[in-house]
Amino acid sequence: MILQPGRILETAEIGTLGTVVRIAAPEIAAQARAGQFVHVRPGTSFDPLLRRPYSFNRIDRQAGEVELLVKPLGPGGEWIASRRPGDMLDLLGPLGSAFVVHRATRNLLLVAGGTGVAPMRVLAEQEASRRNVTLLMGGRSVGHLWPSDRLPPSVEYVTTTEDGSFGITGRVTDAIGPLLAWADQLCGCGPWPMLGALGRLREQAERAPAYPGRTPLIDAQIAVEQHMGCAMGVCRACVVVTAQGNARVCREGPVFSLGDVAFDEGEPATVGILA
Amino acid sequence: MPSRRERKKVERPIDVSRSIEESLEEAASGEEEEDVVDLADLDDASAKEVVAAEPEHPASDLGIRLRDALTTEAPPRVEARPPVRHPETDVDLAVDAARGLRLRNPVLTASGTFGQGTEYAELIDVSRLGAIVNKGTTPVARPGNPQYRIAETPSGILNSIGLENPGATEVARKYGKQWAALGVPVIVNVAGYSVDDYVYVVAEMAGTPGVVAFELNVSCPNVKGGMLFGCDPGLAAEVTRAVKAETDLPVIVKLTPNAPDVVAVARACEEAGADALTAINTVLGMRIDIARRRPILGTGSGGLSGPAIRPIAVHITYQVAQAVSIPVIGAGGITSAEDALEFLMAGAAAVQIGTATFADPLAPLKTIEGLAAYVREQRLGSIREVIGAALPRG
Repeated sequence: MILQPGRILETAEIGTLGTVVRIAAPEIAAQARAGQFVHVRPGTSFDPLLRRPYSFNRIDRQAGEVELLVKPLGPGGEWIASRRPGDMLDLLGPLGSAFVVHRATRNLLLVAGGTGVAPMRVLAEQEASRRNVTLLMGGRSVGHLWPSDRLPPSVEYVTTTEDGSFGITGRVTDAIGPLLAWADQLCGCGPWPMLGALGRLREQAERAPAYPGRTPLIDAQIAVEQHMGCAMGVCRACVVVTAQGNARVCREGPVFSLGDVAFDEGEPATVGILA
Repeated sequence: MPSRRERKKVERPIDVSRSIEESLEEAASGEEEEDVVDLADLDDASAKEVVAAEPEHPASDLGIRLRDALTTEAPPRVEARPPVRHPETDVDLAVDAARGLRLRNPVLTASGTFGQGTEYAELIDVSRLGAIVNKGTTPVARPGNPQYRIAETPSGILNSIGLENPGATEVARKYGKQWAALGVPVIVNVAGYSVDDYVYVVAEMAGTPGVVAFELNVSCPNVKGGMLFGCDPGLAAEVTRAVKAETDLPVIVKLTPNAPDVVAVARACEEAGADALTAINTVLGMRIDIARRRPILGTGSGGLSGPAIRPIAVHITYQVAQAVSIPVIGAGGITSAEDALEFLMAGAAAVQIGTATFADPLAPLKTIEGLAAYVREQRLGSIREVIGAALPRG
């Protein structure tokens, strides 16, 4: 983990999903792994104050570059998304845990929702030449989907939209059935309700031995989001409840085993002490 | 070898501003420092190893040197490493942050924003800091508050973490050795719900390596009853007195701006024996999520910190510094040397940097460098010359 300024090389808007920012940051790129994130300072003053965490959207070790998918949400996100090539960004990273793809995995299923596609693209690029990879992505409408020309051609891309504007109408859980029967391993990232739905499927798989998606669901890894402060593991703002107790998304996470994360009505379960 | 006599309890200030060598020299020549004479009997290098817990040469290297020494005529030359120079080297930044607690510089990290010191040690040289204040420590482990625990505000943040910590026994067990190796004095922030809680934590943490003082968190706005002690002069005095009776280390009381009369609480703590006061803890605040029509934080309200509260903190520091004769440690929205100087001139003997570290992990070190530059530019003998410079004369 290092604190390093990175020079912006290119920015590109991706529909309504966000802005892809390509940054020259050789030392961070050299250490970065899929699922890890970088904490970006949204300006040079203390307003807005908090850094913003972004999962790597692409890691190019050879070129010494990383890409981030920045949603222009709030003043911090807007500032970062509106930077231009040549501008510098204050980066802290790489931080947190990473996805682990097993050597024995032949069929890898990636499940993405919204900006959660960021680490899934890294996995797609990393794994496409090693095994069969399918990316299942859901969004509200076609503008919320990742463009297929920014994926390796050998990756199978299955999409769902809630308004039916592209691909299968519905959500990722409506299309996941046959893919679960096919996959050996599942990696996912997206909004909490999506992760919660995956968690419920996992519970069903555990109860019913004949459930077709048993294997990938039992072994699934997910990257989660939480309101974050320091990202250094000190403030304990970003904790989620796991089988091992409170876990910091910035240190023990953001990648957790799906079965370890405690859900409550599709949202992250929360500790019960009220002041 | 001098015979070991029963150690007399000697009132002596902890001075962590001086080097180990200086301390050892004094120990070797001094009359009253019997407990460290044994160390001074060792040769220089090994004495340094014992004290700093950081061997000058790795063990394998020592093995090679021993073998070489046995097999060759000339002993191998050991080259001394040049001392690392920083912008603050050779500038007198030492301050008395509390009665009996001299620090190498006035820049501390604020509780709850620097964990146990080990986390940021991966990123910055924490041994350059005046001291670190650890995360609020309670008698037993606490899981903390429900989400959300943090929300951004203009030039600040609201937090409601709820004192999530592993409990005093675990903190002492897990971090004692690491603290000794960090090379920075550690002030343990103590939190609780009763006088007994505070005394328990202090007793449990007694003798933990690296610990030089206790800071009593009588002002946490995020736990039930946490602010009670800090709002009432009588209760604040009671907890201060009880802790003072338990420990010989300096006791610092962290004041809350949410008290009806902060100055009265400050005076009561001084009378009860406090060795310093920290001004201030977070200011109560709230944000509403307009889409969900309810407060953003899981507990509703939280503690506001960051530059947004700096003028409030400077004002309280200014008031408290005039009301008491013990050192005041300023805290609240400090991001730079300029901010720190405001507090020092308002009467603070030292400062704590907290929220700014989240945005810029280098903020505490930059502040030290900035203060050193200020002392040089202003041709001051030491940073101590500006303490209280803005207070009314007479």
